[in-house]
Amino acid sequence: MKLTPLCTALALLVVPATAWCQGSLIGNPVAGEQKDQMCGGCHGIDGWRTAYPEVYGVPKIGGQHPAYIVKALQEYKSGERTHPSMRAIAASLSDQDMADLAAYYGGSGAGVASK
Amino acid sequence: MKTSLFGLLAALAVGATTAAGAADLKAGEAKVKEVCQACHGLDGNTPTPDYPKLGGQRPDYLAKALRDYKSGARKNAVMGAFAAALTPQDIDNLAAYYAAQPAVLIVKH
Repeated sequence: MKLTPLCTALALLVVPATAWCQGSLIGNPVAGEQKDQMCGGCHGIDGWRTAYPEVYGVPKIGGQHPAYIVKALQEYKSGERTHPSMRAIAASLSDQDMADLAAYYGGSGAGVASK
Repeated sequence: MKTSLFGLLAALAVGATTAAGAADLKAGEAKVKEVCQACHGLDGNTPTPDYPKLGGQRPDYLAKALRDYKSGARKNAVMGAFAAALTPQDIDNLAAYYAAQPAVLIVKH
């Protein structure tokens, strides 16, 4: 009984700070950068193109909304989105990994405006 | 000779890209105002966190996303309904239009 008002008060304090990310997870951009090995080989090369199953320019994700990046990764993990490489990679990511990567890519930082 | 050969190759390359797209930016803008702007913004850089920014995105990626929504390969109730009403030419025009907008998106590395 004592805990409920306390939890509510804490939730009210925490929610505004995390409103930009999915759920209650806080994305850490530094941790996200450290988890970028699987992403940078395609998304970090300007003009890189997919090879399979269809050829097209790999989307730019630097500066994208973190909430959208998390949603895309969740949809790859669930199979709702079907790109084979992205499905395999997203399957290995935890919710925290996704939040961290989204914070890294969605935040400001070094990058090229590209063509 | 080297210069003219380069010029010829450049002309061929440009021809190849335009022939594949043959996109009409004006028609793309008109369609954006009609269909896309309310959520994605006229320049594609919506501040709404749930909707992706599209300004300066790769045109062939945008076109693929729209084709996949239209075919049902990518499922989203809202985008599926909008994409179903687009012709292949509309899709090329929209993709070219948003790709040509000032990019907020970057390649991060």
